[in-house]
Amino acid sequence: MFIAFYHVPFIKTISMANIENQIFSSYQRNPDLYDEIYDKEGKVKEIYQKLFEIYGEHTISDYVNLNSKAKSSFFNQGITFQVYGDSNVQEKIFPFDLFPRIIDHKEWDIIERGSIQRSKALNLFLWDIYHDKKILKDKIVPIDLITSSANYLDQMNGINPPGGIYNHISGIDIIKHNDGKYYVLEDNIRCPSGVSYVICNRTALKKALFGVFNHYQTYSVTNYAENLLELLESVKPKGVDVPNVVVITPGMYNSAFYEHSYLAKTMGVELVEGRDLFVENDFVYMKTIKGPEKVDVIYRRIDDQFIDPLEFRPDSALGVPGLFAAYKKGNVTLANAPGTGVADDKAVYTYMPQIIKYYLDEEPILNNVHTYHCSRPDELKYVLEHIHELVIKPVDEAGGYGISIGNKLTKAEIEKVKAEIKENPRKYVAQPIMSLSVHPTYIDETESFEQRHVDLRTYTVLGKDKEFVLKGGLTRVALKRGNLIVNSSQGGGSKDTWVLKK
Amino acid sequence: MPNQYNITYRTENTYENWVNDAYWQFLIIPMENNTQHHIDVEFSNSLFAVNEYSINGYGFRTIRVHPKKKFKKINFEAQFSFIKDHIDPFNFPLDINEALAYKEINELTFKINFEAFLRSTPLTKLPNNVDSIFEFNLSNTIFENLQELNKWTFNHLQFKTGVTQVDTKLTDIISAKQGVCQDFTHLFCAIARQNGIPTRYVSGYINQEHGLLGDSQMHAWAECYIPQVGWKGFDPTNNILANTNHIKVCHGKDYNDCSPLRGIIYSHGRNKTTHTVKVQSQEQ
Repeated sequence: MFIAFYHVPFIKTISMANIENQIFSSYQRNPDLYDEIYDKEGKVKEIYQKLFEIYGEHTISDYVNLNSKAKSSFFNQGITFQVYGDSNVQEKIFPFDLFPRIIDHKEWDIIERGSIQRSKALNLFLWDIYHDKKILKDKIVPIDLITSSANYLDQMNGINPPGGIYNHISGIDIIKHNDGKYYVLEDNIRCPSGVSYVICNRTALKKALFGVFNHYQTYSVTNYAENLLELLESVKPKGVDVPNVVVITPGMYNSAFYEHSYLAKTMGVELVEGRDLFVENDFVYMKTIKGPEKVDVIYRRIDDQFIDPLEFRPDSALGVPGLFAAYKKGNVTLANAPGTGVADDKAVYTYMPQIIKYYLDEEPILNNVHTYHCSRPDELKYVLEHIHELVIKPVDEAGGYGISIGNKLTKAEIEKVKAEIKENPRKYVAQPIMSLSVHPTYIDETESFEQRHVDLRTYTVLGKDKEFVLKGGLTRVALKRGNLIVNSSQGGGSKDTWVLKK
Repeated sequence: MPNQYNITYRTENTYENWVNDAYWQFLIIPMENNTQHHIDVEFSNSLFAVNEYSINGYGFRTIRVHPKKKFKKINFEAQFSFIKDHIDPFNFPLDINEALAYKEINELTFKINFEAFLRSTPLTKLPNNVDSIFEFNLSNTIFENLQELNKWTFNHLQFKTGVTQVDTKLTDIISAKQGVCQDFTHLFCAIARQNGIPTRYVSGYINQEHGLLGDSQMHAWAECYIPQVGWKGFDPTNNILANTNHIKVCHGKDYNDCSPLRGIIYSHGRNKTTHTVKVQSQEQ
């Protein structure tokens, strides 16, 4: 069933009092939190007014109805994921909320320029630490930070990746703090995932509430795949005219398999597993029913240690034997390049302002959250004494695993965390607890809108001399009340994210 | 005087059950360097599978084999012939400024340039509380200290095969006081690195005609970077400096970077592998 909204007469002034906004009638606003749609006085912000009005025309039961339809459409399309560490492994739907998040073009401009700046700085940083290591010699970044990282690959030293690009795809996690400013929480430059949800969220919202798009000039997000393909083709190996691009996946049991297949399908390229490829005379080929077909660019969604069992983990059944030799000889492009993980280490994150300044001679456009390094004795002391007001993160885990939030811990838990930090200080960093902005989010249990914390993951693609930022990104919602961790693997949901043209 | 060398490397692999798919990567070809040249390689396997010449992640030459049919037995044979120039390990400048050399190894740029060979790896990690480990005497030259370390390692361990595995940790080697060339070399590397000397693990062959200790498979020794001198080879298994009898294949941080054979076998059940290496030389 398809329900569309027709043109609603425009109401000039809207305030909480004079509109009987049914679906928001029980919305409780905590004034200490930064609400994305209400200002401090409790007025709906201008960019949200129209949306507020349209949604307000309807009852909560209309909304419930639409939401459940959207949900089943996700399930029917197979847009699911799995949570690791859950003993009942099962396919779950990434919960989706029909009330979108809106970002105006001025704020977006900051986010976009900031994302490009960070991605470029990280790329230059990676080139440097796998070549002359000037930033270490100039004592901007300490040498231990790099060489004690499990993601630093000695084999990458001296290799010039095609087009000079290491982090082709960067997923930058950004939040808005209660000071109204954007802060970067993490740079994900190994295999950042989630972009397929951005596009599916848009599709689902268009299906459910097509009419709302008539009132806003929103940038499209469906152009991601074509831009990704174009930029991947721009970093083709030397001597190749029209590169053959493939997406390699660990397989259908991977939590992001839906996305791997989605990206291959929308780019119009083959989705392969390790066993579909082979290396001969240092070139990579794909097995096809018509015989071998040379492969030039591999968008790989397999971690470094698993890409080639002859070079890295010998027990990997996911990779392609001989792939790294083909890469080292410049016969194939791997995106992202092996060894990029060293730069998304959370301890390197803390040096990002200096890294940006060093390579680009620019001030960071996006803020960094102040970080304490447990490897430094004086900072370790501070962290141990202030755990209750800090977030403790392991430096090398992704997906929100292993994070402790100080003010949510019991006394016994604090002692346990302290012991873990003391055991291996290099493994942990700590940051002040940031107050993520909140956004009205439909909650199933109470059948009403409630404030929930949100963040934003942007997708930046670097190619040879060009770059692209997806105008939208993934707004992730922490569905549990008061929860600050928004990763899908930690039970988060998501919203469609609109970037306005003007 | 240069030597003409001929090396034969053979390995026989038998499997209880059919092997449906397998990959091998051999890291056994003598490297081309300023004392080893005119290297001629012949390689064959009993299944007549294609032998692909390639490189590993550190740029050393490899041979890869991927048979296209199932098998229960496969043999490989490699023949290398090449010229090895005479090496006088003591032939290096004598007017070294030692104060400057010690200063250099403590500089950040030096530590960054040689970082990979100063880092401790799982196989070259010394136990925390070990007594009576060799210590550098800073009033001696770096070279003298390394020679002493070579001697100390040679005396500390007894050469004995079958006691340790390729992945035995130093803690166990130090307490057992026994091992083979890999273990001697890992211990030497660990202590030299702890004293700030960039040290690399070297894999290669040894000419046993002169009664030197080694393995019937491959030998291991170490190379240390000495400021104003360059890389120097130390063979702690024999308490000598690397010379004309040492034929280098590759180097790395430890055995794991240099493992002569990596294989991925898709089969189950027992298997048996034997290796033999024959080194023959002829002075020219």
